[in-house]
Amino acid sequence: MLSIASIKSRWTSFIGTFVAVFLGVAILSMTGLVLLSAHPTVPERYRDTPVFAQSPTVDQQDSMFTDGKPWSAAKAGDLVVAFEQIPGVARAIPDRTFYAQPVLGGDPVTDVDQGYPWSAAELAPYRLASGSPPHQADDVVVPETLGVSAGTTLTMLTAAGPAQYRVVGTVDGPGIYLSDSEAARMSPGVRAIGLRLDPGADQDAVQAGARTALGADGQVLAGAARAELEPMADQRVRWIGDQVLTGLGSLSAFVSMFVVASTFAFVVAQRRRELGLLRAIGATPRQVRRVLFGEALAIAVVAGLLGSVLGGVLAPVLGDLLISAGLEPRTFVVETQLLALAGAFVVGLLVAMAGVWAAGRRAARIRPLEALREATVDSTPMTKGRWWAGGVCSGIGLLLIGLTVLGDPEDMTTNSLYAAMALIVGSTLLAPVVIPPVVRLLTAPLASSAVGMIVRGSALTAVRRTASTAAPVLLTVGLAVLISGMVETSMGGYAAARELATRAVAIVIPNGTPGLSDQAATASPGAALLPTELYTDDRRHFPATGIDPAAFAQANTKLDNALDGLVGPDTAAITASAASQLGVRAGDTTRLTFEDGLLVTLRVVAVLPNSAAPTPILLPRKTVRDHAPTALTAAVHVLGSPPTTAPLGAQALDRAAYAASADADEDRLVRIFVALLVIVALGYTALSIANTLLMATASRITDFTTLRRAGATRRQVTLTAAAESALSVTIGATLGFLIALLALYANATGLSHHLGTPLSLSIPWQVPLTAITLSLALALTATTLPIHLSLRHRPLT
Amino acid sequence: MPTPDTVRLRSVSKVYGSAPRSVTALDSVTTEFPAGSFTAVMGPSGSGKSTLLHCAAGLDRPTGGEVLLGGTDLGGLDETKLTELRRERIGFVFQSYNLVSALTAAQNVALPLRLAGRRPRPSEVDGALAEVGLGARGTHLPSEMSGGEQQRVALARALVTRPAAVFADEPTGALDSKTSRDVLTLLRGVVDRHRQTVVMVTHDPVAASYADRVLLMVDGRITEELTGSLTAESIATANRRGTSC
Ligand SMILES: Nc1ncnc2c1ncn2[C@@H]1O[C@H](COP(=O)(O)OP(=O)(O)O)[C@@H](O)[C@H]1O
Ligand SMILES: [Mg+2]
Repeated sequence: MLSIASIKSRWTSFIGTFVAVFLGVAILSMTGLVLLSAHPTVPERYRDTPVFAQSPTVDQQDSMFTDGKPWSAAKAGDLVVAFEQIPGVARAIPDRTFYAQPVLGGDPVTDVDQGYPWSAAELAPYRLASGSPPHQADDVVVPETLGVSAGTTLTMLTAAGPAQYRVVGTVDGPGIYLSDSEAARMSPGVRAIGLRLDPGADQDAVQAGARTALGADGQVLAGAARAELEPMADQRVRWIGDQVLTGLGSLSAFVSMFVVASTFAFVVAQRRRELGLLRAIGATPRQVRRVLFGEALAIAVVAGLLGSVLGGVLAPVLGDLLISAGLEPRTFVVETQLLALAGAFVVGLLVAMAGVWAAGRRAARIRPLEALREATVDSTPMTKGRWWAGGVCSGIGLLLIGLTVLGDPEDMTTNSLYAAMALIVGSTLLAPVVIPPVVRLLTAPLASSAVGMIVRGSALTAVRRTASTAAPVLLTVGLAVLISGMVETSMGGYAAARELATRAVAIVIPNGTPGLSDQAATASPGAALLPTELYTDDRRHFPATGIDPAAFAQANTKLDNALDGLVGPDTAAITASAASQLGVRAGDTTRLTFEDGLLVTLRVVAVLPNSAAPTPILLPRKTVRDHAPTALTAAVHVLGSPPTTAPLGAQALDRAAYAASADADEDRLVRIFVALLVIVALGYTALSIANTLLMATASRITDFTTLRRAGATRRQVTLTAAAESALSVTIGATLGFLIALLALYANATGLSHHLGTPLSLSIPWQVPLTAITLSLALALTATTLPIHLSLRHRPLT
Repeated sequence: MPTPDTVRLRSVSKVYGSAPRSVTALDSVTTEFPAGSFTAVMGPSGSGKSTLLHCAAGLDRPTGGEVLLGGTDLGGLDETKLTELRRERIGFVFQSYNLVSALTAAQNVALPLRLAGRRPRPSEVDGALAEVGLGARGTHLPSEMSGGEQQRVALARALVTRPAAVFADEPTGALDSKTSRDVLTLLRGVVDRHRQTVVMVTHDPVAASYADRVLLMVDGRITEELTGSLTAESIATANRRGTSC
């Protein structure tokens, strides 16, 4: 009863809590829905084929999202024969994928670069929309959506380079289709064989038969389990999307809690008298606490319900955004699941309860006689609990700073983010200790003027109010500086490391294509890197790179071993860590499977330092090309004169431009991530700043009226209030900046250890400047507007 | 033998602050307020009247001595137990700011019962409001009532639990003389009709003349106790005498 009544009568104080929980739950339910929907689905291409055999998968613990170990062409052929003998199996169709990208108007067509054997169209099934199937090596069937009709000649890029193909037909689905024999030449290895069944066949019996035929050489998938056939590249994209969403969700929960906590801290400070009265007329400390919890709960229930509805509405929009940002596969659909909505709602309630917890403790300590006090002087701004909590949070923050510098580089970014969060909470709690000296310092030049004197006096007597108005600014500026600075510094770091590692004058990299064709790679003299994957028999895998040893040694600044021995088809140079993982030394042999499914015995001719090679294993370029006909060159480090005209699907960058270009894909994802986080943090804290200051000002109208009676002009009063909030913003911005700087410094030190290059801190100044300007503008508006309005209408008596 | 509901103070002291700047608000006060008595406490400003009342009512804890209600030593109770005892057996009226502004008069009156976990019967609340002459004003918010009406609502709330003792700190201090008389008559009635104990701080000899007994305080001590037939004049004379020496 009391909770509801006081919410009704003081709803302005609760707007902040309401909006915080509302937005928090909306964001949580939105991200939750998207996260729950983001599970693997049966690939569209395999839609209507009930049973699949899949080649052995590799261990995914390293989060590298590597596809499974392929069967060789011969093994796949045997399997097809065996499967087709199972009763009920009409056809066994091996699927292959390879690089094939049409060129229209001189440019490679973006996002159309996957080629398949024509028979695999049957797996969906996709049908010919016009023309006939491909038979000759240079026959091609293209999607109708490409806008090329049957009978025309089409330039197409494959791993070898551009070539002329004859379009013999168009198909009603995605993908480029070549004849089965041509596809088998491009990609001998097979990772999936689809089983088309006779009408009325017993699917369980077919599965059992296929398992027997397959033995330990892979797995049989049917029904929903076929989702495991999803290409690993899609899964990787989804995983990155999940990281972004999880970050977004936890950040918004953190900020919501922060806003609720500061709102309620304020509500308690404002209502000391009323709560004292309740204590005097018989409310126990527990009951007073329950009043606050009741208020928070009532607000959170309503805000949470509305928030989850909004989240449900916005989730599909976010889903589309993620698809267009490349953070979810194109087949992604957001499903509305009650579980996600209910989960976000419950988290919203918990966040509100956690936020009100500290305020409730403080309220429970209010003594009955405080009902008699009128003025708000903080007699004990620091309680024992606050010292403890503040100390513990700051301690954890500093510990994480230490971990950032010395710990696992993998966790560096998360560690410094958590460090900053802990330090932000810690310093907010300890603010009452920190604030008085800061206030004295900042107001020293103003102390002689009337306004200066009042500002100084009220900031010092109501330390907690000053602290709670400074807190959101601290959070905003801290997060903005930290996140943007972290990205800037690490990108600078990686760029510096890349520039240092090469002697090339120019680097040729892909342009509008997933990689360079052989023609593009050989157009310029230099070290070309041809990446591929090698597989062990125990589900491990090793990335490898095909190189020309002489050119590679010439371009690489970190290589001091001779690679002269790297010539024959059975030779390999491996890094020290790969050597220990494989348990081999120089001169030993090891057996690894290539992309074409063939098991090859390789002789270790050199063991290199880890930093000297882009991948754990180096092979002669020809070895890679022989076993992976569809592999694409990642980059060519040009030695000698750079090419005058870039080959098709390539571009040449000079050293500096290459260093700055970063990994375009990663770069874009990181920027999207940062933008999302900064926008959410800024939006929230803007809300929080406006909210606290509105509350503070409303509660101080009487003070200001008294000032007017004492002879201050309206301008002076407004100026006083404006100066007070400017002071709070300055305090918050200063503390936030210092904390972010500390975390950034730790991050930069850790990164420079990791990369082995000295690294300077860089902060994109426009971000903190925007954050501070925005905070200040909001703070001034939220303070002076209500004062101006109320003093105009309020008589002096 | 004291009756069970007598409020007794034994050498009660209250010192604010510490050593060099300490203020002794109560200096070893011993007295008692028997059940069904009406006591007025007078004295100059700062003499410790409010402090005495707060300690006796269990709103504040003395720094020395003990306060007993019936056989219970208030000093031996933790904060929750003390609150519960106060809620059930003690009523309190401040000089001003007695009502929760978000609640109506009836809700304010029902508050102690609700805090005690009881669902108040409407007749209980209406009865308490009717007793203070506000039967028709139950649905009004404090901001819609005059100062005297608010004080009467506060009194109705202090009485609704039928407490053993009611403490009032200058309950008429902010009221005009007509309204003051209404409130004082109500307090007198509480003692006469329900045999509840009333202790009231006042500056006004006329108000004090409603009581059976007047305690005069100076510098944290009770300097004089007036009983028998009290008139405003005799009280005023005694009060002046106490203040001047
Ligand atoms: N919370 C407090 N802190 C410090 N001194 C106090 C406090 N409350 C009262 N006092 C001091 O105790 C003395 C008695 O106060 P009080 O009981 O309020 O007097 P009265 O009600 O008779 O005017 C006064 O000197 C007053 O200044
Ligand atoms: Mg007093």
